[in-house]
Amino acid sequence: MFEEFQRKFVNNFITSDRWQYIADGLITTLKVTFFAVIIGIIIGFLVAVVRSTYDKTGKLKILNALCKLYLTVIRGTPVVVQLLIIYFVIFGDVRDVSKIVVAVMAFGFNSGAYVAEIFRSGIMSVDSGQFEAGRSLGFNYVQTMRYIIMPQAFKNVLPALCNEFIVLLKETSVSGYIALQDLTKGGDIIRSRTYDALMPLLAVAIIYLTMVIIFTKFVEILERRLRSSDH
Amino acid sequence: MTTSYGDTLIKVQDLHKIFGDLHALNGISEEIHKGEVVVIVGPSGSGKSTFLRSLNLLEEPSEGRVYFEGEDITDKNVDINKHRQKMGMVFQHFNLFPHKTILQNITLAPVKLLNKSKDEAKKRAMELLCLVGLEEKADAYPSQLSGGQKQRIAIVRSLAMDPDVMLFDEPTSALDPEMVGEVLELMKKLARGGMTMVVVTHEMGFAKEVATRVIFMDEGQIKEQGSPEEFFGNPKDERLREFLSKIL
Repeated sequence: MFEEFQRKFVNNFITSDRWQYIADGLITTLKVTFFAVIIGIIIGFLVAVVRSTYDKTGKLKILNALCKLYLTVIRGTPVVVQLLIIYFVIFGDVRDVSKIVVAVMAFGFNSGAYVAEIFRSGIMSVDSGQFEAGRSLGFNYVQTMRYIIMPQAFKNVLPALCNEFIVLLKETSVSGYIALQDLTKGGDIIRSRTYDALMPLLAVAIIYLTMVIIFTKFVEILERRLRSSDH
Repeated sequence: MTTSYGDTLIKVQDLHKIFGDLHALNGISEEIHKGEVVVIVGPSGSGKSTFLRSLNLLEEPSEGRVYFEGEDITDKNVDINKHRQKMGMVFQHFNLFPHKTILQNITLAPVKLLNKSKDEAKKRAMELLCLVGLEEKADAYPSQLSGGQKQRIAIVRSLAMDPDVMLFDEPTSALDPEMVGEVLELMKKLARGGMTMVVVTHEMGFAKEVATRVIFMDEGQIKEQGSPEEFFGNPKDERLREFLSKIL
């Protein structure tokens, strides 16, 4: 039994340095996730500011309509389809386009829509009295947002934001659709070489799980720090 | 009656506010003079809070003009934020910033808006905290304070901007009865110090004792006003008499 396991392990990971598929794939997955998260936060933040400014003041009407269109399209279509469209349609005629860049764009644009709604719900969750208190002291709209509303909104949405990044990390596993060798694809390549599905896919699953657990732990610590003001 | 006070600080001209079907303010013209303590009373829905909130344009008037220190602040070209710095406002629900300490609550606006140094703002904040006897709470967060303490801090936060007038929107209505006194006491102290105040409240004792003028509002209009003695001693308006009989 143990010898069988050992033989399979060696065959799947050691022979021909097959572990490198997993290692390289992991790096690719982390790169894509990291940059997609950044793009997602930037887009999400901007869209949320436009949407909540419109809700609060009625200004930015056209921008708000564009943001709504973006949210509807992105949230209404599968991320795989978005990935394929960006790769085969938008960059269809561009030779040698980096697949990582395409994946970062696709997942970043996708995540931005969800992050936008998370941020917006956070801004709306701050009591309107906070806004009035800020304005009554003489802060303008932007200053009130920056010093008073946003810090509270961020704290409120941290759990939801964390959840979104976990989803994003796992969603990048469809990168194989454009033949990008991410973690999942790496495991799948080993499977196709060794005809053993259990070992490589189990390894892939364990790595995803470990990353998610570490990330969750990290956010828990951050949340506890931020909570120091409500006793 | 108003001649015994200083210059006109706030002047309101034919103010209207319409929310959908509701005519919350129906043509109000009024003046607030330096050093006055004006108390506004009236049944709920009479428009008294809306009127108060119109004075610093937290509520944008549908029609009419508001002048502050001679300038028309309803004019779109006026920087309302500059004027709001001079008009402190205290809310029913305190609205302290929960993510900041008491000291940060007080120093935020002076540092960011008046370009005071942190030390300077802190020094002034500590002076004000001593005035209200809450200096040991400087590093606490709002959630650690009682309602009465929160409201006193909210008053201090406004005072830190050295306002020319203080607007109070039912400052004691959200407080437990045993905490009302400490807040009123502080407001009396301010009034005695010569602060111009406009106060919407249900505390008739405060009105009698501190007000230089009491205004009765009903259905979006000022129905009667006068010194506390004539207002409470000899009310003329039918609705006011009815109102006073219910609450006194």
